[in-house]
Amino acid sequence: MHELSYAQALLEEILRLAEENNAKRVVKIHLRIGELLLINPEQLKFCFSAISRGTVAEGAEIEIEFIKPEIVCTKCGRRFDEVIGICDCGGIVSINGGKDFLLKKVEMEVE
Amino acid sequence: MHRIEIEAEHDVLSLNKRLAKENREFLSKHGVIAINVMGAIGSGKTLLIEKTVEALKGEVKIGAILGDVIAKEDYERVVKHGIKAEPLNTGKECHLDAHLVHHVIEKFGDVDVLFIENVGNLICPVDFDLGEKYRVVMVSVTEGDDVVSKHPEIFRLADVIIINKVALAEAVEADVDKMVEDARKLNPKAKIIKMDLKKEIGFEEWLEWLKCALRSRGE
Repeated sequence: MHELSYAQALLEEILRLAEENNAKRVVKIHLRIGELLLINPEQLKFCFSAISRGTVAEGAEIEIEFIKPEIVCTKCGRRFDEVIGICDCGGIVSINGGKDFLLKKVEMEVE
Repeated sequence: MHRIEIEAEHDVLSLNKRLAKENREFLSKHGVIAINVMGAIGSGKTLLIEKTVEALKGEVKIGAILGDVIAKEDYERVVKHGIKAEPLNTGKECHLDAHLVHHVIEKFGDVDVLFIENVGNLICPVDFDLGEKYRVVMVSVTEGDDVVSKHPEIFRLADVIIINKVALAEAVEADVDKMVEDARKLNPKAKIIKMDLKKEIGFEEWLEWLKCALRSRGE
């Protein structure tokens, strides 16, 4: 379950930000995740809740916004919703984006 | 007590990206071609490395990093062929990452080709750049002829797609042409090789690709 690696990287950054801001509790975490990144959101949330236990991020809500990649035929310009390599016209389809994993915003309680 | 909002704009993958970049710079500086060998369990990844080492002995200096939950078995198979190798135990993890590779990469500055055998599965290793130049994805007909269409992302990002054990296709009722077509549709730029390592099918084609990659080193 590679979501554990992602959850660990995420928790490290959250705890760094919490300490920097003297937070008592992390309330909500906003993420932007590319749709082509192989990540299961439920497993990510589960891993995060498990490893954040006993830290200021315990119980924090995670909100995920998914970002679509741009999938366009380089010959006829047709756009696709799903990954494909060749268009019906025979053109090569280019795929850009959809691979990011950004920590956008963190809401926390401070004194 | 009050609530604040911090605009973080932090790339959660930044650590792996930075270490992959460092690995890539080290390899490029020393003229090493690193190949991330990915694929299903039992698809033939280790045997491909072993046979390649034997075929190019005295001609190309090869090194290997063997990643697995317990990497000892693959490591022992490969070092028997007299090459420099390092086992990387991932423990609980189902993939290698740039950090693990970073620990051992400096031992391989004097090789021409560095094979990095990833943990056997078609999902977890996909989004972890190791700093490699090429990605080879290996599957076999015994995994079912729908294995390519079920895992689009790993095949989309491959430079070479190997469909191994084609001599067994009839016995397991797998349609090799369907697998090739599925791979081509997902990734028209990749080199696709039908192979059977134990029957010497497709192996020369693989060696040709590798030699071509070596010739274009530094370009």
